[in-house]
Amino acid sequence: MTKNNHKTAASIKEIMATVLARDLVDGEWVEVGANLPVPRAGVLLAHLTRGPNMTVMIAMTKANVLIEPVIEEFELITDQRAMRWAEAYYIHNDLVENMKFRRKGVFFAGALQIDPYGNSNLIGIGSDHQKLKFRGPGAIGVCNATVMNSRFHLVINSHDKRILVTKCDFISAYGWGSGGSDARTRLGLPGGGPRYVVTPLCVMDFEETTKRMRLKSVHPGVSVEEVIAKTGFELVVPSAVPQTELPTDHELHVLRHRIDVRGALRQP
Amino acid sequence: MSEVDSNDVPVRKSRVIDMAQALSHLSNGMTVAIGGFINSSHPMMVVREIIKRRLRDLTVVGAASSGLEIDLLIAAGVVKKVISPYIGAEGLAAIGPGFRGAAERGLIEVFELDEAMFYAGLRAAAQRVPFNPWRSGVGTSFPEINPNIKVFKDPCNGETLLAIPAINIDVAFLHAATSDIYGNVQYVGHGFGDRAIYAASDLTFVQVEKIVSNEEIRKDPLRTAIPGADGIIRAHFGSHPYASPGYYIEDQAHIKAYVAAASAWAKNDDQGPLNEYIQKWILEPQNHVEYLERVGLSTLLSLDEY
Repeated sequence: MTKNNHKTAASIKEIMATVLARDLVDGEWVEVGANLPVPRAGVLLAHLTRGPNMTVMIAMTKANVLIEPVIEEFELITDQRAMRWAEAYYIHNDLVENMKFRRKGVFFAGALQIDPYGNSNLIGIGSDHQKLKFRGPGAIGVCNATVMNSRFHLVINSHDKRILVTKCDFISAYGWGSGGSDARTRLGLPGGGPRYVVTPLCVMDFEETTKRMRLKSVHPGVSVEEVIAKTGFELVVPSAVPQTELPTDHELHVLRHRIDVRGALRQP
Repeated sequence: MSEVDSNDVPVRKSRVIDMAQALSHLSNGMTVAIGGFINSSHPMMVVREIIKRRLRDLTVVGAASSGLEIDLLIAAGVVKKVISPYIGAEGLAAIGPGFRGAAERGLIEVFELDEAMFYAGLRAAAQRVPFNPWRSGVGTSFPEINPNIKVFKDPCNGETLLAIPAINIDVAFLHAATSDIYGNVQYVGHGFGDRAIYAASDLTFVQVEKIVSNEEIRKDPLRTAIPGADGIIRAHFGSHPYASPGYYIEDQAHIKAYVAAASAWAKNDDQGPLNEYIQKWILEPQNHVEYLERVGLSTLLSLDEY
């Protein structure tokens, strides 16, 4: 294999995937959702480069993909062809009812709306729940997975004021409530809550004591002013905001030759 | 030791039934569950027949993540209330268009819950208790947007939890790979959440791709996921246009045609394409064979898995 591809700069989605990958620790439990190219790539990148003891769930199987030269992508979570790497099945009701294994789990969620404390909404937009202006997909497994896993990241593919709002119309996944580092323990919620919000412009985390969303780094070519202008609430902005760390040559090589051969992350 | 005289062994009844027998258990207003998961393993022969018979006011329990089989039932006007944490087709339709259109117009009642609450409710029904406790969801909008879900103090330790009410199902319909004639159902793959639906239902009828011998089932009893289906329905290609693990993958062109038809109604109030879809694929074919003839052999054979 040539290394010529590496001369192409990392795409925004490759950078987002690398941010997620670098947060993961060997031995953790992660799932590869379907039709979510960025978290999928992040999980597999961590697993293939430095997390050989991670448990990776693909299509409701405990999958052994470590030595696969190319990990084929599947569009649908129900695709039986994605079950070829199974060492075990996760029968779906067991997966959702048995929670102890999720203490080592890390989860990735999308959202229609996210507020300054990382509370998020997948239900819909509007004030009357029985007659929404926009009916969303529903909570799926997100309400539970954002509580029972050790932490989660919110990943959105557009950074704008419609998504990053002062107040969500509904909260389907609890973040830090109305703020404070004890917001979750006060309610008896075991997981560590949201850690990062990763967007096409930047990475945000949560200030330690208030748990208000804070700008952590901006992607190449993005200014702090642009992030502020496109966020619907007041972000905590430190005096110096670094650029998001880029993938190494090795990480880009693994992404392009083993994980994302079809180039989903390189599409505009 | 005396030998058993075969004339003294009572005859065990076959549970193989036809569609009319299965559907005879349904009436308007019942709670009916449809198994499978997003784009796989839905009992579509039964779904089409429910629409054809113009059943009304059903409470429909989908899977933990339903596909467009529930969307179709909603679009066809069968559903009064829907219980499912997701209705859609992933990349083919992020949100089911019929579900979205009906919810935004206030035409259906949505029993809002997430997957864990869904299984807690099924488990309560299976255990014959009024509710199951669950932790996740405390602090969220769920108890407000679904008043059936109650916040309560656990009497043992005083923790704040949610009470998820039992989801009792009158009749469940599932789709699986094989069964013997006695209702011992086996899947290829894991069978998604179908076991939990079966456990919460008074009656369960299962469409299968193939009926096999009891000896075949006894080769691997651990694979028997549903050990007592009340009826087995022969259903070659019975999950079409959705996948049936071990037999065929989903028919994406067909699913996209449905999405386009239902979206015309949901987005533009144009009922025409949806009516045409229902006419062509549900009302006109007299039976499942006529439906498959309409789909066509070349399409069906193109859905081989590998």
